[in-house]
Amino acid sequence: MNKINRLFFGVFILFGVTWLALVAYPYLTFAGLRQSKDDATGALAPLGNPGAAAQGARVYAANGCLYCHSQFVRAQDEGNDIDRKWGTRRTVARDYMFDRQVFLGTSRLGADLSNVGVRQTDPQWFYRILYSPQTMSPEVSMPAYRWLFQTREIQGQPSVDALKLEGTEAPSPGYEIVPTQEGKALVGYLLSLKKNYPLPEAPEATE
Amino acid sequence: MKETAISELELHDEAATEHGAIALVDRSIRVPVLFFFGSGVFWLVVASAFYLLSSWQMHTPSAWWALPGIAWLSFGRAYPAFLNCYIYGWATCAGIGTGIWLLSRLNGVSLRSPLFPVIACVVWNIGMITGLFSLLAGATTGRQLLEFPSCSAFILFLALAMISLWAMTIIRHRKRETASISEWYLLGAFLWFAWMYATANIALEIAPAPGVAQAAINWWYVGALVQLWLTPVALAAAYYLIPVISGRPIYSYKLALLGFWGLALFGGWTGLTYVIGGPFPAWIVTASIVAKVLLMIPVLAVAANFHLTMKGHFGMLRDHLALRFVVTGTVVYTAFSFAGSFISTRSIAQFTQFTFVTVMQNQLGLFGFYSMILFGALYYIVPRLLNRQWLFPKLVEAHFWLVVVGFVLLVFDLAIGGLIQGFGLEDPQIPMIAVNDLLGPFLAIQSFAALLLVAGNLGFVVAFLLILLISAPVRQREIAIEQSNEASEDTEAEVSVA
Repeated sequence: MNKINRLFFGVFILFGVTWLALVAYPYLTFAGLRQSKDDATGALAPLGNPGAAAQGARVYAANGCLYCHSQFVRAQDEGNDIDRKWGTRRTVARDYMFDRQVFLGTSRLGADLSNVGVRQTDPQWFYRILYSPQTMSPEVSMPAYRWLFQTREIQGQPSVDALKLEGTEAPSPGYEIVPTQEGKALVGYLLSLKKNYPLPEAPEATE
Repeated sequence: MKETAISELELHDEAATEHGAIALVDRSIRVPVLFFFGSGVFWLVVASAFYLLSSWQMHTPSAWWALPGIAWLSFGRAYPAFLNCYIYGWATCAGIGTGIWLLSRLNGVSLRSPLFPVIACVVWNIGMITGLFSLLAGATTGRQLLEFPSCSAFILFLALAMISLWAMTIIRHRKRETASISEWYLLGAFLWFAWMYATANIALEIAPAPGVAQAAINWWYVGALVQLWLTPVALAAAYYLIPVISGRPIYSYKLALLGFWGLALFGGWTGLTYVIGGPFPAWIVTASIVAKVLLMIPVLAVAANFHLTMKGHFGMLRDHLALRFVVTGTVVYTAFSFAGSFISTRSIAQFTQFTFVTVMQNQLGLFGFYSMILFGALYYIVPRLLNRQWLFPKLVEAHFWLVVVGFVLLVFDLAIGGLIQGFGLEDPQIPMIAVNDLLGPFLAIQSFAALLLVAGNLGFVVAFLLILLISAPVRQREIAIEQSNEASEDTEAEVSVA
């Protein structure tokens, strides 16, 4: 019986140590993160996401964007992410302090999205690539997310969000293709992905 | 040769006719173990369908067979559905079934209430089904390998807690003074899995960790799931089956000790190697990398132990199909761990971490190491539970070769494709589209390899259904022909905690 207890004890302690180091320690320390305050201007960073973006993050999760897109920029000595213009500095813990869901990702079948809201500021660009990625570049391996859109009859003025599509993709006259609530939320979230504010612990990369 | 192939897979439980103790044990756990095996096989079929779908979607995203426009079956849902069904459905159900069979058999304990694990199995399946439908409907947590929403996760945890408590009770109420190597691993596995699953779901859903701590906990969990649930279950099966089938005792007790305690020491640290360069304090990732490299010590100890046990008797693999599956799995275990350590060092990870090389390494573990050993275990256990024999040994042979050919093709394809992808990604002059263009043919080959793997596994499913539904019980006379293996079982049982 003693031997079994010793085995049980050893198994318990060894796992307990990793639990303390990789679960309890990050849980407690990252809760203590505060915004950074710029000495000159008094500006706070990061500012956190608007409420709509949190809803968009759920759409991002629901459609599995994270299985092909990462959301972190490595430092220059760990990869060429900065040379690829995916960010001007590495991302650090403080960048994610307001995120309810953190999608670091482990695949880059698609581009890194840490700063996609800096690179693309036009919602139309996002609607277009979500609705019909192959019309933007034929070889792209991204699937279309048509269920984030609906075709409806134009009533009065055409919607500002309506997709500008040509050729076979275009809707019949009198109709328009507009993003659903979910589609809008997702694009709102993607537009909010900007980690271009300065943080003292992650200085801008120098050439 | 065909005759010997049958006879190995056939019953040879001398004890079943002689003292009846083992027969009694087997009879008492027959229903719960078969429930778990049946569930595992069912989820293997579901996972295979999602695997084929998601791999075809990867290289032809807008072809009709990629089912474009159907949100429920889009890549972003089919892919996690495949992984969840494979790991929590097939791997975990087959693992629990094998685990409780091993524990009962090693302890000579016949089950007082077989209903308890049966209920656990039903509860587990309810959790799986609700979780899968939530995932397909888009109600997911967005955390890798923890996609199921918290209500499904809670149901799964209930089942897991029942099984773990039951396993602990068996180990504590054992008749023998000592524990065998398989029991060390199973004790650890059942304790660790319940603990890590509860931790991950509480710290991520119920009382969510702040910001990037979620990612740390998520990846800690994934590392622990592979190293401290799947790995110990498979090794427990291998440590029992290799000596019992080959009739040779485990070569070294000390190497086994080193292998077990090394895994217990380093296994839980390895998860953060999936996100090297991530937004964590440097020491956390470094600790993970160091652990993953040091993990080679227990891996080599286990590999050496199995190799020296089998040395000079590898010819047995030709006729003993269950043993062939198990030994193949242990060989892939070394390859899987070596590849894992290699791609976790910072200088290599720079090129491989976001590519199909990591997918290749995961599949070495899932398809090659874990599943091969578990297939071997099922080929060994099921006839003994049912007192029947496998029909059509050619089907088993076909299963083995289809899986091996598909698997080897898959591994080389993803390794080469992944390296090309990695070097492309690291060269800022090459646009992303061009990188994925280079990857195209490799993704097509992946789909073909997946087809071979799935075809092989369907052979196994058919064999399982045949033995369950059609095959007639073996007559006593045929059992008597089999040679005794009792001696080897005792040898294994005596190798115990000092």
